[in-house]
Amino acid sequence: MNADTDVDNASSASKRAALVRKTESVTQAVADIKTLAVAFERWHEDLILMTAQSRGLNEMGEDLSRIARQMIMVSINAAIEAARAGDIARGFVVVAAEVKTQAQNVQTLSGDIGKTLHQGELLTAATFQDIQAGGKMLMAAISGLELMVRQLRSELGEGTDP
Amino acid sequence: MISAQSMLNVEVAFHKAIRANLVREESDFCTIAPIEPDAPGTLQGHKLLLITISSFVFRVIVIFRIIDNPVTRAYYLTVNSPQTLDEVFAEVANMCGGRLNRELSVQFAHLAMSTPYALNSECMAFLDGLRPEYVARYGVTINDSVQLQATLCMCCSRPIEIAASTAAADEVDAGAGELELF
Repeated sequence: MNADTDVDNASSASKRAALVRKTESVTQAVADIKTLAVAFERWHEDLILMTAQSRGLNEMGEDLSRIARQMIMVSINAAIEAARAGDIARGFVVVAAEVKTQAQNVQTLSGDIGKTLHQGELLTAATFQDIQAGGKMLMAAISGLELMVRQLRSELGEGTDP
Repeated sequence: MISAQSMLNVEVAFHKAIRANLVREESDFCTIAPIEPDAPGTLQGHKLLLITISSFVFRVIVIFRIIDNPVTRAYYLTVNSPQTLDEVFAEVANMCGGRLNRELSVQFAHLAMSTPYALNSECMAFLDGLRPEYVARYGVTINDSVQLQATLCMCCSRPIEIAASTAAADEVDAGAGELELF
């Protein structure tokens, strides 16, 4: 009878020790996963930089568009002045027309670049927010898991510090 | 991926959040009406504010658009306040998004909300690039004077069902208010 009880006790102690080891492994795994917060911070910083760059490019695109508009005005004025000058400035009329065409091309290109940048800005911001919210979601889930492990350790009579 | 009834339920929750949080006083009169998208290039002087509520299988992107004019400033800014309209409206939008987040949290355990983010108003034309399941645009008028727009954009990775809003969110809301006070 005593021998049976000893075997039962030994088996129970062995199971408990295995459970404690597993709980410690889970505690360590949870602690490791929690360092994900560092990665989230890194992504956050990078995305802020990306968005700032996108805004900077947008401003440059607007400047380019403004310059193109001014070039068009200059070319129109040049064409008028050349027409006033008569046959002597005929070649200059051609040059002014070409400058105007090129300025219009720059303006179209600048508009297309602006659209692409706005599209990129929205995509970047939405992705940035999704990652930010996802990070919070994941950290909340990990905290829940951590709490469960602490409760388990407490029930096993272990300390509650990870 | 999302049923018509689920879309309607999200919209009802969104309207509830708008009525509760975009007004400064409970007695202020707020109307919400569906609107068509604006033509690109017509949004000069407008400001966009983006908030995302994410779950593992879907995300709700809420976009507020305000016009920085004397009427909007007079409504949202208190006299001698050091805050700008952008700052004040970011707080208002955050409360509104938070309310919708709480409504949805009653049904979805793992849900989180981003911080608000200001965007160029021209970005609004490219919402389709986010591949939304559906988009609902509303014009919001407060006290027959303040005009703003609120857009709900839902993107799903898996089929989801969203039930009608329950009183549970209101209870959580009341609790959250108390926590903020203390």
